[in-house]
Amino acid sequence: MMANMLIWLVFLPLIGAILLFTIPKENVNVIRSLATIVSGMALILTVIIWGGFDRGVSGIQNGTTLPWFDLGFLQINFEIGIDGLSMPLLLLTTLVTTLSIFASFSIEKRVKEFYIWTLILLSGMLGVFVALDMFLFFLFFELTLVPMFFLIGIWGGKMRSYASFKFLLYTGIGSGIMFMTFLAIFTKGAEAMNFQGTSFSMIRLAEIFANPANPEVLSEGVKAALFLGLLVAFAIKLPVFPFHTWLPNAHVEAPTAVSMILAGILLKMGGYGLIRAGFGILPDQAAKFATLIAILGLINIIYGALLALVQTDLKALVAYSSISHMGIVLLGIASFTHSGMQGAVFQLVSHGFISALLFFMVGAMYERTKTRTISEMGGLSKSVPILAGFMLAAAMASIGLPGLSGFVSELLAFIGIFGASADLIPAAMTIGIIAGIGIILTAAYLLWAMQRTTFGPIKEKFMNLPDARPMEYVPMVGLLALSLILGVYPHILSDVINTTVIDIVSRIGG
Amino acid sequence: MIVLETDWSLMTPEISLAALALLVFTIDFMTGIHGKKPFIGRLAVLSLLVTAVLVILLNPGGGSIGDLFLVDPFARLFKLIILIGVAMVIMISMYYLDRNPEVYQGEYYSIMMFAALGAMLMVSSADLITLFIGLEILSISSYVLAGFKKHHRHSTEAALKYVILGGTASAFILYGMSFLYGLTGSTSLVEIGQAMPVLFQQYPALVGMSFLFMLVGFGFKISIVPFHMWAPDVYQGSPTPVTAFLTVVSKLAGFAIVIRIFTLAFGFEGIHGEWSFILAVMAAITMITGNFIALTQNNVKRLMAYSGIAQAGYLLVPFAVVLGDFSSTVIVFYSVAYLMMTLGAFAVITLVTEDSGMTDISSFAGLYYRSPYMAIAMTVFLVSLGGLPLTAGFIGKVNIFILAAAGDMLWLAIIMILTSVVSFYYYFGFIKQMFMTEPRPNDKELFVPGGLLTVVTVSLAVVLLLGIAPNLLLDIFNQYNWMPSFN
Repeated sequence: MMANMLIWLVFLPLIGAILLFTIPKENVNVIRSLATIVSGMALILTVIIWGGFDRGVSGIQNGTTLPWFDLGFLQINFEIGIDGLSMPLLLLTTLVTTLSIFASFSIEKRVKEFYIWTLILLSGMLGVFVALDMFLFFLFFELTLVPMFFLIGIWGGKMRSYASFKFLLYTGIGSGIMFMTFLAIFTKGAEAMNFQGTSFSMIRLAEIFANPANPEVLSEGVKAALFLGLLVAFAIKLPVFPFHTWLPNAHVEAPTAVSMILAGILLKMGGYGLIRAGFGILPDQAAKFATLIAILGLINIIYGALLALVQTDLKALVAYSSISHMGIVLLGIASFTHSGMQGAVFQLVSHGFISALLFFMVGAMYERTKTRTISEMGGLSKSVPILAGFMLAAAMASIGLPGLSGFVSELLAFIGIFGASADLIPAAMTIGIIAGIGIILTAAYLLWAMQRTTFGPIKEKFMNLPDARPMEYVPMVGLLALSLILGVYPHILSDVINTTVIDIVSRIGG
Repeated sequence: MIVLETDWSLMTPEISLAALALLVFTIDFMTGIHGKKPFIGRLAVLSLLVTAVLVILLNPGGGSIGDLFLVDPFARLFKLIILIGVAMVIMISMYYLDRNPEVYQGEYYSIMMFAALGAMLMVSSADLITLFIGLEILSISSYVLAGFKKHHRHSTEAALKYVILGGTASAFILYGMSFLYGLTGSTSLVEIGQAMPVLFQQYPALVGMSFLFMLVGFGFKISIVPFHMWAPDVYQGSPTPVTAFLTVVSKLAGFAIVIRIFTLAFGFEGIHGEWSFILAVMAAITMITGNFIALTQNNVKRLMAYSGIAQAGYLLVPFAVVLGDFSSTVIVFYSVAYLMMTLGAFAVITLVTEDSGMTDISSFAGLYYRSPYMAIAMTVFLVSLGGLPLTAGFIGKVNIFILAAAGDMLWLAIIMILTSVVSFYYYFGFIKQMFMTEPRPNDKELFVPGGLLTVVTVSLAVVLLLGIAPNLLLDIFNQYNWMPSFN
């Protein structure tokens, strides 16, 4: 029953996209409502799955394996399922997408296509989070490329063409490297089992790599190369310095709703993939490279924050803050402690809400002031107090104000890194302290930006701006409320992820 | 004498196609040289489809006429691909000839059918002589077709280049074959294959020479690097449907015969190890060259030529990795995908370039506003050529990746994956023109004639269906013993 629901969940948006296809493009309101209904149904489905999720099980739940096609020497299966890692991300995906659809009602240009692509994108993202077969994972990963290319390329800003191609090629190379590594994992897995019963299943491969029949095949060097391949592949998506350069372009050029999805969900696929494939199949290598991951995380935090500090464009500032915040994810998973890993998953979810809210606020401001340049704004709290208030709240959440979700995830990640075993990360304490400085920088650039945009003397031309429309309250209140709930009552999330996280951490005996 | 005792019914499809081609030829004579003759086009399509049905229905068990002519699953599948491919090309041609009345129409269709006949003979032959006859019927028909717009300089140039270089390639092939005949005294591929293990021990240099000469000649026919130089010029100058024919039918038939010869004659274990590496390197160079040069092209037909070169590289990969049923399954699957996505794309290209009168990529500007269905279909074909999900191209390509990795040629898979990413850039360049650029001011809504609509719809349906349910085809393929005469 539940397993079938996962299949329905993945294909529902695709069916919705096909339905939208049949509606004449003049019926804008019908199209908008249908898109909302479809993603709303997906949301309801995920909530039901969330409700039925067994918190006590560490492995895969609701799994289904259907034979898909046979190459003669290899059977490819449609294997899906969820665990404590993918469950919260599924909910994040449907929540943020539904809210971003509300945020996209202001789009007037080629409405029908916009929602068709959004729904296909939703299918792809949900597919990534439920796929357990590497082939299927790659398929869904690639499936997100084409809709995103169109969404940025048609509805984007002035440089949309450049941004969409850059996105396409960077993430295309990322998924290319990912699949190469998958192929290598598959062949090495086959060799390690003396060519008896191998598959593309990540679950099966994790077992094979844990207990190979022929351990000599899986030498340290081979395993290290495999892990580095996965690290690079997912680093492009996450993104990790120095593979991050596609992100500012894509974010800045994308329309508001797409930026929300991009920052809120798409980046999380990188973090998720790293944990699922990298830590799932090669936990010992993950532990070996813990220092590297922690240092990359540290660079992300500091570098992203420093660049955010000097941005003159508000949206670019938020984009760089995303890079900075993804560093915290790396820091958390590198620590290999219970709380660190939990903090990382928390950060994936929490940043999903907060960054989506920030991008929405920037978009709403831009729609009114027609500028994103920080220095040209000012005093907006007087002309649009409600919007300015929400933007300030979003910034506070991003900084990590206690009571909001950002605080919980950063706290957990830092507890993790400070508690990391010295065998894994020799200089954990130093890394933690420097990363702490990065967090102070976050406060600096966000507060400074808020001060320059919302406070100060009001500009003449911004005197009579309309404040929030009723429809805008949905994403604003929704996202802020979600961040607040996670901040006040984190148990609601930790409850779900706990068993799985303990299982991941215990694989290296840490 | 075996010739009299053999079961000539094995050749029924070829014989009926030959008869039908002659019939078309005769009807053309009787209806005058000039003027539009759409009915001949329809008759040609019908003939090809009838022949395809004959291929499906007759001789499901296979068989052979002496050692000359084989009917095995490999041959039958490629015959189907050829017949359906040519039928689709003719449907595209009917629109093209309607726009270009100066082309002699009857001849065009009958020559196209003879080309199909040559290709069919080729994929069925198990003997160097039958093979060469089939190859030459196909090649000579192709030379003529390339120059069909004889009052246009580019078309004449294309035909001349093609005939000179193609003739040279045929000479190379013949010379390579002569070594084999000299060593074994036989033209039968099966007998040559049986003698090969011993011969290779005794005369490695001669066998190697023979192999290399044939590789050069066939490499030209299937346009793999470094024997690809003719392709862009010929593809650009030829009438667009002929370009489609060359890219798809000629190339796939060439592939089939390369696989046949190299499997039967050079297929035994010891020697495959020797040349598989050469082929792998050539596949790699072909993928890299094709994809990177395609980046710089603005002319649609040249771009498709380089894209076709890159695709030939992909098709070469499974063959370089391993011989046998597994790689045949992967190759035939990708051939079907390639046929559909390329011909679908060419249908749209013919429509757009004929409408605008130019072959620059900017003729696609704003196609989405002018004909949404064509733009969407073209997007699916391009996405499939690029190898992105929910299309046949994705499944086909990933199968090749997996085969290469499983066959211990991970490096080749890696090159293929990386060059595929490069190809996104030019395939999506089309998409950008169609969806993200405004149409030029005097471009009106495009009318899509029925023939093109059929081709596009059929290709679109197959590309999507195989992308979602590849098991439909793979389940059938897995039961086949592709070449019973090998092993």
